[in-house]
Amino acid sequence: MIGWILLGAATLFLLWVIITYNSLISLRNNVQNAWKQIDIQLKRRHDLIPNLVSAVKGAMEFEQDTLEKVISARAKAVSSVGAQEKAGAENMLTETLGKLFAVMENYPDLKSNANIIQLQEELTSTENKISFSRQLYNDLVANYRIRQELFPDTIIASVFSGFQKEVYFEASAADRAVPIVDTSIRKSHTG
Amino acid sequence: MLWTFIDIERQKSWRIVIFFSVLIMLYLLMSFALAASFYPLFPFSGFSMKLFFQEPSFLLVVFISSVIIASIHFCLSSLNAVAYIKKSLPALAPDTEDEIHKQLINIVDEIQIASGRKINIQCLVIPSLSVNALSAVDLRGNAIIAITEGLLSRISRAQLETVIAHEACHILSGDCLETTIAASLFGIPSAAVEKVCNASEGRIFFVPAFLFAWLMVKVSCMLNMFISREREYRADAGAVRMTRNPLALAEVLYLLSRRWKGIGHIGAGIEMLCIMNTSDSILDESEGWLADLMSTHPPVNKRIKILLQMAHAGTSELTRQIDGGENKKLNEVPEYMFYALDNKYQWQGPFTVMELAVLPWLSADTWISNNGDALLKASQLQLFDVMLRKRFASDANAVSDYLCPSCRNPLIPETYEKTKIYQCRFCGGSLMDDVKLPRIIVRKDVKYSERINALSRITLSENQLRQLARNKNNSAKANMNLLYCPKCKSRMNRTFYSMAYLVELDRCSYCGISWFEKDELEILQCMIDNRMASTPLPLPDASEKSNVLNEVHLE
Repeated sequence: MIGWILLGAATLFLLWVIITYNSLISLRNNVQNAWKQIDIQLKRRHDLIPNLVSAVKGAMEFEQDTLEKVISARAKAVSSVGAQEKAGAENMLTETLGKLFAVMENYPDLKSNANIIQLQEELTSTENKISFSRQLYNDLVANYRIRQELFPDTIIASVFSGFQKEVYFEASAADRAVPIVDTSIRKSHTG
Repeated sequence: MLWTFIDIERQKSWRIVIFFSVLIMLYLLMSFALAASFYPLFPFSGFSMKLFFQEPSFLLVVFISSVIIASIHFCLSSLNAVAYIKKSLPALAPDTEDEIHKQLINIVDEIQIASGRKINIQCLVIPSLSVNALSAVDLRGNAIIAITEGLLSRISRAQLETVIAHEACHILSGDCLETTIAASLFGIPSAAVEKVCNASEGRIFFVPAFLFAWLMVKVSCMLNMFISREREYRADAGAVRMTRNPLALAEVLYLLSRRWKGIGHIGAGIEMLCIMNTSDSILDESEGWLADLMSTHPPVNKRIKILLQMAHAGTSELTRQIDGGENKKLNEVPEYMFYALDNKYQWQGPFTVMELAVLPWLSADTWISNNGDALLKASQLQLFDVMLRKRFASDANAVSDYLCPSCRNPLIPETYEKTKIYQCRFCGGSLMDDVKLPRIIVRKDVKYSERINALSRITLSENQLRQLARNKNNSAKANMNLLYCPKCKSRMNRTFYSMAYLVELDRCSYCGISWFEKDELEILQCMIDNRMASTPLPLPDASEKSNVLNEVHLE
């Protein structure tokens, strides 16, 4: 009788180990897939930037400095290796692109050019996709880390190799310093 | 992603079982009613009414046949719900040549990324001037988000993002499945009945088949009790979680609350799928147990209030900002106004950039003046450089296969109000598909000059008399010089856009296209924007009638 109970307990334990291990593997793969999705969108952005630069450079002769900054930031982003370096280079590219869009507002002929409007829409969409992919990645990392740290799943995560802690995608210092807030509404509300 | 409320919502699929049970009960009642009606005709002798209800085999046959009919109804409706909804609206796939539609496709893709691509969502556009959006998903897993042209063209990119996120949250949470099934079981038949009754001015209502459909309408209203209004709050919260922009969603809800939301176009049976109820109902704006029980949408004020709290903003600031924005858009004076020297050496203008670009006689050598500034040739102006180069370069290879119905010159594909239409460079006419007309009317990129404003007023008064004359003299139509359709070469009908906005246009009912003579399209837009609708004219007496007919020239 005791033998049967022990066998039942061992079977239950084994089942728990298998289920927990498999769910951790599934979560880890979801996190890795989300990271790859960011890469796809970044690659799309790198491909679009040369088209935009060549389309606007004729009309923006006096903004060569801004255009060169975008080109060099793109080159750095393409050639960067490692998560830390890549994140820094991509953040720099986002900033320079933002400046380019702001400068483009001063050129009415650019705003009426269908080709540039289309490129700008594609880039805006890609930027949004990047930020949504990062948001999803961070959510999945949070899920994964919670599972890794919860008891008793933490035992499985520490016993088996391959369950390293994934890192969050951090916002750049510039993003933190300049939050996008509609000041007119906030001012009126508080006043 | 920690979609806690979505996980909770998934557990509530028991509602679908209730809908199925209601359907069985409905058919059971009808079977009994039919059996009782035809009972005297049955060739059984010795049966009495008492036996009829006590006969177990008879009851079993009625019950089984009701279950079978209800199952067939349930399967057909639930599996093809999305197709039925698409057909009843009717919703179309976005036009990939339209800038705003392309933006919609991109935004739906972005939102799918934000949700982790859990479900493939198809986006559709409803060719209506109303402002509303809806989502639907059926048991096959087909999911759609449909948005009206009116809403699509009136809101910014950030606002559109929140609308799509709101509808995507309905689909992800699964609450959309139960509302779609409720709509497909009872709502779609009731919407069809509504349309037929409207068309027949209620006469068809007395046909027995429509009594059954009328019963469906009543059951559809009863099922609203099971559609929780809380799901709208949850979808709002989900949209904010995805887009991090509560203010944009509050702005959209405020806009929706003040405009026509599609009553008459979107059937009452499927309004539970919409972001906001199509009809302005007191029940929707109330709170309490009765409103919670019978209404499918929560009070819009409460929804806006919650969103504004998230954005740390106040209601008065929101209304001020939106009203200010709308007025600014309407009263915006074009920044650049130009005069151009035409072929007869007469100065024409003032024109905006867009107006200048579509002038049929404009060439690289045309003299342009910026209201008293230096006189330059069009080719020398930096502002038009890109646009003109594109236009002249495209002339050679961008000529369409269609010929202008008025002057027989080739029509050129042009972008007007961010959508592709065909224009004639010689006579200035425009050709477009009928489905593009609502989106052109609702968009406000083209600014009207004083000339168009004046022409609109003149056209309105002239066409009111013309309409009166047509009504009095039926042979007038026969004398009209009808144009031929550039596509199918059949004769087009010369009609007014509507009885309210009396702008004449040529329509081909076979191809579904409309032809506007020079300025007619802008006049129509100007009339609708400024609400210059026709008012019924008093009928002239016999002596006046001949004068009116003599004065009005009918082509």
